[in-house]
Amino acid sequence: MQFRLATLLLLIGTHIIVAQSQEPSVTDSILSQELDEVIVTATRTARQLSSLPLPVTLVGKKQIIKSGTVRLNEILNEQTGIITVTDESGFQGVQIQGIASDYILILIDGVPLVGRSAGNFDLSRLTVGNIKQIEVVKGPSSSLYGSEALGGVINIITEKPEKQDFSGNASYRIGSFSQQDMNLDLKQGFKKFRYGFFANRFSSNGYDLNEDAEGQTVNPYTNYTLNGRLYYDINDKLSLFTSGRFYDQVQDAGFTVDSIQYEGDTKEREWNAHARLDHKWTPALNMAYELYYTNYVATELLADPISTDVLSDSDFDQKLLRPEVRGSYTFNVEDENRTGFQYGTLTAGAGLQLDELDRTYFEEKVNFTSQYLYAQYDFDPLEKLNVIAGARFDNHSEYNNQFSPKLALRYQLNPNLAIKGSVGYGFKAPDFRQLYFDFTNSAVGYTVLGYNVALDKLQELEEQDQILDVVVTEDELSQPLEAESSIGYNLGLTLKHGVGNTEINFFRNDFKNLIDTRIIARKTNGQNVFSYMNFDEIYTTGFEINSAYKLTDNLNISAGYQLLYAFDKQRREDVKNDQVFVRDANTGQSVALATSDYFGLVNRSRHNANLKFYYDIPSANTHANLRVLYRSKYAQYDTNGNGLIDNYDTSFIDGFVTLNAAVSKIFYTDFTLQVGANNLLDYTDNNIPTMPGIQAFIKLNYQF
Amino acid sequence: MTKNILAVAFLAMAFTSCSSDDDSTPTDPVQTETVSNLYAPQTGGQGEPVGGEFTKFDFETGAITTSDTAWDIAFRGTTIAVNGGTLTGTEDEPERNGNVGVAEVTGTLASVTTAEGLTFEQDAEASFAIATGSDNGWYNYAGDPTHLITPIPGKVFVFRTTEGNFAKVEFISYYEDAPSEPNAFEDATPYYTFNFVYNPNEGDTSLE
Repeated sequence: MQFRLATLLLLIGTHIIVAQSQEPSVTDSILSQELDEVIVTATRTARQLSSLPLPVTLVGKKQIIKSGTVRLNEILNEQTGIITVTDESGFQGVQIQGIASDYILILIDGVPLVGRSAGNFDLSRLTVGNIKQIEVVKGPSSSLYGSEALGGVINIITEKPEKQDFSGNASYRIGSFSQQDMNLDLKQGFKKFRYGFFANRFSSNGYDLNEDAEGQTVNPYTNYTLNGRLYYDINDKLSLFTSGRFYDQVQDAGFTVDSIQYEGDTKEREWNAHARLDHKWTPALNMAYELYYTNYVATELLADPISTDVLSDSDFDQKLLRPEVRGSYTFNVEDENRTGFQYGTLTAGAGLQLDELDRTYFEEKVNFTSQYLYAQYDFDPLEKLNVIAGARFDNHSEYNNQFSPKLALRYQLNPNLAIKGSVGYGFKAPDFRQLYFDFTNSAVGYTVLGYNVALDKLQELEEQDQILDVVVTEDELSQPLEAESSIGYNLGLTLKHGVGNTEINFFRNDFKNLIDTRIIARKTNGQNVFSYMNFDEIYTTGFEINSAYKLTDNLNISAGYQLLYAFDKQRREDVKNDQVFVRDANTGQSVALATSDYFGLVNRSRHNANLKFYYDIPSANTHANLRVLYRSKYAQYDTNGNGLIDNYDTSFIDGFVTLNAAVSKIFYTDFTLQVGANNLLDYTDNNIPTMPGIQAFIKLNYQF
Repeated sequence: MTKNILAVAFLAMAFTSCSSDDDSTPTDPVQTETVSNLYAPQTGGQGEPVGGEFTKFDFETGAITTSDTAWDIAFRGTTIAVNGGTLTGTEDEPERNGNVGVAEVTGTLASVTTAEGLTFEQDAEASFAIATGSDNGWYNYAGDPTHLITPIPGKVFVFRTTEGNFAKVEFISYYEDAPSEPNAFEDATPYYTFNFVYNPNEGDTSLE
């Protein structure tokens, strides 16, 4: 780590020197922080990336293709401060600024995706085959997007057919673990009508990280993604966009318990239907009328094929319907001068969201409804100062109304240096599980109850004489569960220097009312009844630095680093007050934990860094790249019973490096052959089930 | 799906920087004693009704006892009974005929210096003074994947004994021979190891 940091600082230092001696030149679009790219997620209007007052990571198509990655989690994991994590539930999600997947909103073309496992959104569900770019806005964005946008928003923008001609590509990739990826992408435009069709099939034989344990770590699976899009220009002012997306995965789920071989599978199926009418009323006023529906279904059935005894039978069926109207109005649009309060752009929207979930461990199907309104004003009060002020109001059927304001500023100090800062509020509504879960572990005997059903279920258990005593008052269970919320602060600098650029961003996120389980009653079998409560207050803080540098015409280098501290405020206070203990290894006696030994929250690495080289050989139509990723040690769970992660816990995963590389060559103008490997150092750990060893691959792409 | 390996080397390294300070002055009449491998099996469990005799312990002698009256605390599985209060209603439990009470204090064994001002709880119908279940009483159950039962660090139990003396206890281990890194799949249970300090002067609340 020391070495990497030094290299990084050296790079930055070099930049500054170079900045003074060289003329600015064009940056290469491969590097993530491309300056002239336009993004829509941060403001809901098209804005030049470099002009935004918010911390944003942009991953473009070129970077995706050159990396040879096929699923969204792979490419996002290569970005600074974006880490994929397998949490204690065994499911994988993404972490941004140290904030867990539960608090990160995932959008596709601006509309939300649903279907989470224990709060984690599995990004490997998404193929990167037809993505134009991935926009990641870091920090709270509830002022535009409402619930779940505390840690940030990941918006996947699919490719639009731009040309009149029929075009597209077909590709086939095969790699280790019999991993196969097939893509077909077709695009065509007519006078008023354009369409795009995309199909992907991805399959893998899975892999096994532990030979000693029965069964494979990851079982074989196959999935399909289909996406059809239609664009119709009704007239000069009206245009229609419709998109239908379908995803289906079947994974073998058979395994052995007590020498009985259970057989079965896990199925996932997702539908998205998205229609939007864009209406240009005047050059100053644009409106969009949008209707979106999605349905995510996951089922698992495992049974003994001989006795037909069912081991596990679960299902999960979530639906979301969301109509929304929004518009943006530019004041005094004809005026040349754009400086002043009266020359801004007002963006506003209103919508309705209907959620429904039917799943195992719920007594009945449950529904949420919410209505929302948001507005944002984007203006330049001074020539060099850009201000975005916005707020959103959410009225929800299950929890208190939420008001989410946000303010962001950017000041151009000189042509090469800008300072930007923002502060925003984010919230996450209590989810269905936290409100309606009714689950009793049949093997151990504990019970977990959703908050809204806890009182009734507790009474039922009491009537069945299963309750020893209730440790919370009825009053405590009658107060409505609060939404989890955060305030996020970001302060950064953007520096252009000669042939490169550097961005630095300091962040702090203060969370309160985090929902966690706590014991509400003790059962006669010695086990506990848990329910969900608002009690934790945590914070994550640190900084992120990204530097991109064009070393020669053909060689680009980028480096990124994130420093992260993530702690529970109460626990930190307890440690300071000598109220947290560990056992001395020799005597077994308790000793107070030193403040310096409190490591922080689970699954958080203090350091996260990357270094990437992109090299073009134009004479040979060849491109090669190497990406080095580093993640420092992190702990998975408490092992010494004091309820927090300290340096004496034994569940740490040591820091590790992954090395990914790819080489591609274009021949006969339309064909590209790519050879590469992810995880070249063959790093594996039984505790990282989502990471197999070396994944070599070869891919052929035909562009037409 | 997930399978674990413990970072043994890390732990060993981390502990070299630790020290303990349980030295008591030579003039002190109150001594720290260790009870090792107190065996307290139970029958049933895992959804089945639990039963079996409790293993009784007397602080005055510092040993287990079969006496029906001269005992202070009794163990069965992870459950601990005190000789005070009433029957809880579990199978095969001993009669309560003393006035033993227990108070939970947060701290190290050395930092708990007196029984003065503590509130002592006793067993009651359907409720043990030392609450059962993970994170309620003396232990934490880690669940998947380690399934370890670990005494909650920093929890000291102060007892008023049958004779009206005071004692303090820190539980060290639930596994045979109190391994520093127990393995729930290999090490035998329930073998209690605990440290205690007993003040032989009746009614004297001092614990140092």
